[in-house]
Order: sequence, then structure tokens, then C-alpha cells
Amino acid sequence: MADFLVNWISSIPGLALPYALASIGLIIGERAGVLSLGAEGLMLVGALVGVGTVLRINDPTLGLLAAMLASSMVSVLFACLVVFLRVNQVIAGLSLVFFCQGLTNLVGTMLDWSNRTIPGLGLLPLGSLGALPVIGPIFFRHDALVYLLVPIILFVQWLLTRTTFGLRLRAVGENPDAADSVGINVSLYRFFAVVGGSALIGLAGAYLSVVSAKIWVAGITGGRGWIAVALVIFARWNPWRALLGALLFGGIEALIPQIAAAGIGLPQYYLLMTPYLATLAVMVWQGLKNDTVSDEPEGLGKPFVREERR
Amino acid sequence: MSETSSATRSSSEAAPFGSPVGRRLRYRPRLVLEIRESMPAWQQFVILALSVLCGAAISTAILVWAGVPASELLSEFVNTVVDEQSIRAVLTQAAPLILVGIAASVAFQARFWNLGIEGQMVFGSIAATAVSLWHVGPESLRLLLMACAAVLGGLIWSVIPALLKLWLSVNEIIVTLLLNYVATYFLYDLLYGVWKDPTDGFPHSQVYASGERLPDIAWSINAALPVSLALMLVVVWLTQISRFGVYLRFIHANVAMAMRVGVPVVTTTFGAVFLSGSLAGVAGFVVSSGMEGRLSQGFFEGYGFSGVLIAFLARNNSLVAPLVAVLVAMLFVTGQTLQIFYQIPFSMVQLIQAIIVMCVAATEFFIRHRINLRG
Repeated sequence: MADFLVNWISSIPGLALPYALASIGLIIGERAGVLSLGAEGLMLVGALVGVGTVLRINDPTLGLLAAMLASSMVSVLFACLVVFLRVNQVIAGLSLVFFCQGLTNLVGTMLDWSNRTIPGLGLLPLGSLGALPVIGPIFFRHDALVYLLVPIILFVQWLLTRTTFGLRLRAVGENPDAADSVGINVSLYRFFAVVGGSALIGLAGAYLSVVSAKIWVAGITGGRGWIAVALVIFARWNPWRALLGALLFGGIEALIPQIAAAGIGLPQYYLLMTPYLATLAVMVWQGLKNDTVSDEPEGLGKPFVREERR
Repeated sequence: MSETSSATRSSSEAAPFGSPVGRRLRYRPRLVLEIRESMPAWQQFVILALSVLCGAAISTAILVWAGVPASELLSEFVNTVVDEQSIRAVLTQAAPLILVGIAASVAFQARFWNLGIEGQMVFGSIAATAVSLWHVGPESLRLLLMACAAVLGGLIWSVIPALLKLWLSVNEIIVTLLLNYVATYFLYDLLYGVWKDPTDGFPHSQVYASGERLPDIAWSINAALPVSLALMLVVVWLTQISRFGVYLRFIHANVAMAMRVGVPVVTTTFGAVFLSGSLAGVAGFVVSSGMEGRLSQGFFEGYGFSGVLIAFLARNNSLVAPLVAVLVAMLFVTGQTLQIFYQIPFSMVQLIQAIIVMCVAATEFFIRHRINLRG
């Protein structure tokens, strides 16, 4: 039982990380008022580019950076559509997902990047700390990104709540009309929020392929992008709560292989359903709570047209 | 009249701060966006056609990069319009696409983002296959029973997001998408478990008996096409002629106002979502029974987004949806050819669809706005 618990808990951070990174990336964009449903697609782009870079130049760190850059670049397309051309954000987000699914499948097949194992990112060498009996595997046997997560969240939270930039960004998300009237460039803030947030979403995708799976297969994200979108609602647009939710989902996902390894005979496909069912359960719970005060950015999902300003 | 008004305007412009001589503002032309109230239909059509062409051009460029010679591509596409066998393939493929297209339109008209069409198709097909495998009812009625089961299957799977949205206002976009994954795993559990084909051990159900398959009618067109066209007419009547349709348009235009004047918003929305789910269930049945002859693993893939695309391009008009569906079917058939002869992954079809949606959505901006240069 102790072994089971240690194995389970020590595998949580690696599985929670993609959820956390993706939802924090989404939070940045949504705080500026842009509903990005495209996370699933951007994660795929990050995952593919990460593996591709490692295959070409064999450097996992550069792979992760390239993934961030690539998904930011793809999100420029989305940002232009929704911010400057005022396309319906649901339609644009959905087509972004399918655009990325098709594109990553095609590029992965054409450049022969599919199903090839890569060395990936190793564990952070922490010397003898990792050899400690129980706390070793739980705290000290992870890759560098796991330890970077908290600083990233601190930075994002600081950026959003303690800087002028963040104040303006949130103003744009809450009330674009008012923000515009005091001279904040709504379109520009939204554009950069989406593109910047997408870098984190791409990193989340690259973590799945470069660090966790060490391979690219089409559709590797398996709906995690959608779960991240739900997680943002659960987190009420707060990065710390997003981390909490990510740990919850990482915990559930980590349970699946542990249960299988422990020889408990639950049907495999029902086990694989659990992350999605858990997400649904969380959303129902959120709905049942029926908060009177909503944390949702007021201007979320509404295109801003200065000429229609009231 | 106009002279006086322009005169007053110029005087008021000159007035504000006494306008000191020599401190006139520098001439700076700027782009100004104006909301366009209306645009002639033909102009809209030209813009729409141009944007689709633009999307096609981008897609062609990608395909040429992927190693399909441009000349071959053209001949492949022309082939689907000329070759008799390809036309049949297109018309067969169009049937489920019409159904998912109108399924999406109906839900979108009620401002309900039903992105769970694939999951509803899965449950429609599972229900129909259950009728087939368990030999429910007399053989002469089997096909009809399967269709009814498919309606129920799709409907039940659409009840969940509808209830969650209307009672707890849970975002239906995410719920329907997540339910797709749940449905897929449920399907896998059946196909890798109890419903695995005992004859060859592959993860698909046993082949339906010949009486359980939608028959080919004249000119070896599958009965799926007339069935979906008939359903389309029913939906057109419901959404454009009946009282339900009036309510639906009212809700689409302004939910709050509809609520206030006593339109049964909740009932109508439920109705639209259930109709959408049922149609998606039938689409699943049509693919299984009319095209594949069994319940297979990935039969639903690509239909969800196709439905969204068809509804979007047809502007939620069920009467236009079949035309768009035929175009998408041509894309599907060409995609299958490319997959066989050039090893292009079938998801290329999704990519092309996404590009076209983006292009059309982007040019919609120019239909709704006018860009002016102001001095």
C-alpha cells in the first residue's frame, strides 16, 4: 500500500504539469477577454514541434523553446481572426483546433516524425536527495520543468495583479469600452495576451511529447486541451486555483496506470474515461454552487468594435 | 436642407476652441471602420465565393508541398464531378453530411453550441447495432426499429448537455466535447469487448444482415440520401414554417426579449437540442447501416467539425445545407483518393475545412464592415 501511494503521488506532478501550464496560458488570454478554445490544437503544435526539433538538433531544451515559439506563431493566426477581424471566437477557436490537428498530422507524416522515440528531457540531478526513501521519489525525482512551474505561476500572478500591464490587460477583459475610453489599445492588449498565453500552452503540449511520452503520435494530447479549458472555469480565472485543479486531474490520471499495475481488474476503457468524467463532475459542481458573484471576465468572448462603443 | 446642415456642421467644426490661426491640425489620414447596415445579396455571394476560392488556393499550396502535383490534384477533383462512380460516392457520402449539417444548424439556431455531434452519432449507431445484434422485433421491421433506436441513442446523449446548460448553466461547448471522448471510449469498450466480431476477431461488430442495411435504390444510390433529404424537408418545415421555427428565430435574435414576451425559451431550446441530437443519431445510423454495414471504430471521425462547417457556411439554413454538404462530400471523396494514392493523412480534409472556415469567417468582416479613409 505504501508503495502504491508513493508511486501514485510521485507520478502526479508530471501529469498535472500540462494541465497547469495550459490553463495558465488560457487564463492570460481569457483575462484579456478572448475565449480561446484552441488550446487542444496549440498543444498539438507544441508537441509536434518539440519532438521535431529534438529529432533534428537533439536538444530537449531547445525543443521546448521551439514549441513555445511555434504555438505562439500559430496563435497569431487566431489572434488576428478574433481581435482584428472580430470573428466569432467559438468558430475561430474550433477551426484552430481542427486546423492544428490536420496540420500536425500532415507535417508529422510528411517529415516522418511520427512514432520515433527521442531521448527527451531527463530528471534534474539532485544527487542523493532522490535516493531518500519516501520523499525522494515524491519531491526530488522530477524534471526541471516541474520545479519551474511555481515560479511561472508566481510570475504570471505578479504580472496580472501587480503591474500596470496586468491592470490594463484585466481592464480590457472586464470592460473594453471603459479601457478604450482611457486610451488603452484594446486590440493590442488582447493580441499580445493571446500570443503570450499560447507560448505556455505550446510548452504544455511539448511537455507531453518531449518529456512524458518521448514520442510524437497524431492526437497525442487526447483532449487535454479541452480539459484545460474546463479547468480555467473551475479555477475561476485564478492561476493558483488552476494549479489546484491541475493537481486534482493529474492525480486522477496518475491513478489509472497505478490501478492497472496493482492488478485491480477494472475495465480499461472505463478507466480511460475518468479524466473526462471528472471534468464533467467538476463543472457540474461549479454549476451547483451557483455563485452570485461571477469571476468570469465581463467582456469574455465579445468582440470589441470601437465604432460600436457606447 | 442638406446645404444648411453641412453649413452648420462646418461652422460648428470651426467654432470649438476659437481655432487659432496657424495651429491647424496636421493632415493625418486614418482608417476608419464603419458598420455596414446591409449588402446586396449578389455582393455577399461574390465575397463568399472569393473567400472559398482563397481557402482552396491555400489548401492546394499545402497539398503541393505534401507531394501531390498540382495537375494531378486538379484532375482528381474534376474526376469527382465527372466520373460516374465518384459521383455515386459523393452522393452516398453526402447523406450523413446533410444530417450532421442540419443537426448543427438547428442547435446553433437556438444558440446552443452542439459540438457533441460525434458522440451522438456514436450512441445512435450503438443503439442501432444493439437492435441488430439482439434481433429485436420482426425482421421486416428491423431497419425501421434500428432507425428509431438511433434517434433515441442520439437524443439521450444530447439530453445531458441540454439539462446541464439549462438547469445549471454549465458551458455546453465543453460538456458536449468531453462527452465525445466518453462516447468514444464506451464504443471502444464494446468493440474490444463483448461486441468484437467473432468471425475475424477485429474490433468491429458483426456485419449487419442484408435486411438491416439501407438498400441501394435507383442508379445504385443508397437509400440514405432520400432519407436524409426527407428529414431535411421536415427540419425546414419545423424551423422555417412552423410555430417552433418562429420561436427559434426569436430566441436566436434576442433571448432576453424572447423570455419577456413569453416565448417558451426553455422548451424550445430543449426541443432544438433534442432534434439536433436525434438527427446526429440518424447520421450515425446512416454511416453504419448505409455505408459500412457494421459498427466500426472510427466511423464518426470528422463529422462533428463537418457539421459545424456546413451550418456555418449555410448560415444555419437547412435548405442550403445539402448544397454545402455535397461540396464537403466531394472533399471527403477526394481526400480518400489522396489517402490511397499519395499517403496523405485523411485529416488533411479537416485541415482544408478549417482553412475554408477561417477564410470565410475572415471575409465576413468585409461584409459587416466598411473601411474608409478619413482625412
